Amino acid sequence: MDPALKLITILIIAFEISFTQNLILNFIIIAFSLLILILNKIKIKSLLHILIIPIIPAIGIYSSQLINGSANYGIILATRVYAYVFLGATFTKTSSIEDLAFTLEQNFNLPSKFAYGVLGAFNLTETIKKEIKQIKMSATMRNLHLTFLSPTLYFKSIMSALNWSNLLAEGMTSHLFVENNPRTHFKIIHINKFDYVKIIITIVVVQLILIAF
Amino acid sequence: MQKIWNLRNIILLTLISIICGIIFFATGFIYNSLSLMLTPFGLAPFANDILIGLWIMAAPLAGFIFKKPGAAILSEILGSIVEMFLGGQWGASTLISGFIQGVASELGFAVTKYKHYDWIGIISTTITTTIITFIWDWFKNGYSSYAPNMLILLFITRMLSVFLFGGILTKLINNMLSKSNVIK
Repeated sequence: MDPALKLITILIIAFEISFTQNLILNFIIIAFSLLILILNKIKIKSLLHILIIPIIPAIGIYSSQLINGSANYGIILATRVYAYVFLGATFTKTSSIEDLAFTLEQNFNLPSKFAYGVLGAFNLTETIKKEIKQIKMSATMRNLHLTFLSPTLYFKSIMSALNWSNLLAEGMTSHLFVENNPRTHFKIIHINKFDYVKIIITIVVVQLILIAF
Repeated sequence: MQKIWNLRNIILLTLISIICGIIFFATGFIYNSLSLMLTPFGLAPFANDILIGLWIMAAPLAGFIFKKPGAAILSEILGSIVEMFLGGQWGASTLISGFIQGVASELGFAVTKYKHYDWIGIISTTITTTIITFIWDWFKNGYSSYAPNMLILLFITRMLSVFLFGGILTKLINNMLSKSNVIK
């Protein structure tokens, strides 16, 4: 399925379960997402990760409803946490940022500067991580401990980001990336008409479950 | 708006949200341990409201650095796209929160007609961010069923958090950047 259409479907469903209180729908979403993940051969490690990590917020929200609100609503909210995580994972575990950027650019009129700019910045993440570590370390050597509360840490990181964004933009320009010019594509992405049918069916089924239960 | 959002600025904007994300990820254990400590008392939502300022910080920071319409909302959306692919636990659902937080912060700057990049702007964006994200949690995290006392406490905690991180810390960073002449 086309990544952008898949994302839109997921966002519509996630938005809808935020405003409705339907335990059965939450369970169906979790089960269906799990099925999709297994069919896409998710690794056991990532499956355990998305099963275990949400335990803290799920129990937290349940206990707070149990003590300060209503227990029934607590169960809905706890399953909602899992529905969110599983629904979200069906997208991130089956699509890459490149595919999303390419289809948004080719089929949804996203300006190419956004598609490639964000993609470029995304690929700099590891470098920026190292830079932040380095900034922290060199401060520690001068007996200064920078934490998330220190403006200096952000200031120095932004300075290095300024430098990197200049370098990357120059690099892309010198590789003949011209902002508003039409581009040719190595990988052309067509949206299958069947994808639209899938979206409509999924959304209609969600509404039917909401009405039925 | 077309002119300001050139390739370099788009990269810079995304990098700013990545920086906030990385620094915030390093404090992820604070959220989890705070949440665990508060769970037996049924006060876990406070962990969320104490730290919300960190989540939304990229928006006012970008607003202050670029001083242009769209900066706050774009930084949150681009930031949430990156976070989604870096393996944030919420997957694609991150985008919805990112969008709502971006709109909330942007509205604060829009109210001042994008002219007040000072304490007035900070207060305005703090108020809109607190109110809109609170309404979102009203539905999404079930705040609607809590007692009024707890709601008032949650609201005040959230406002202080947004003011501390999205306000004071942002202003301090902004002051350092203007002193070094990298921004006007």
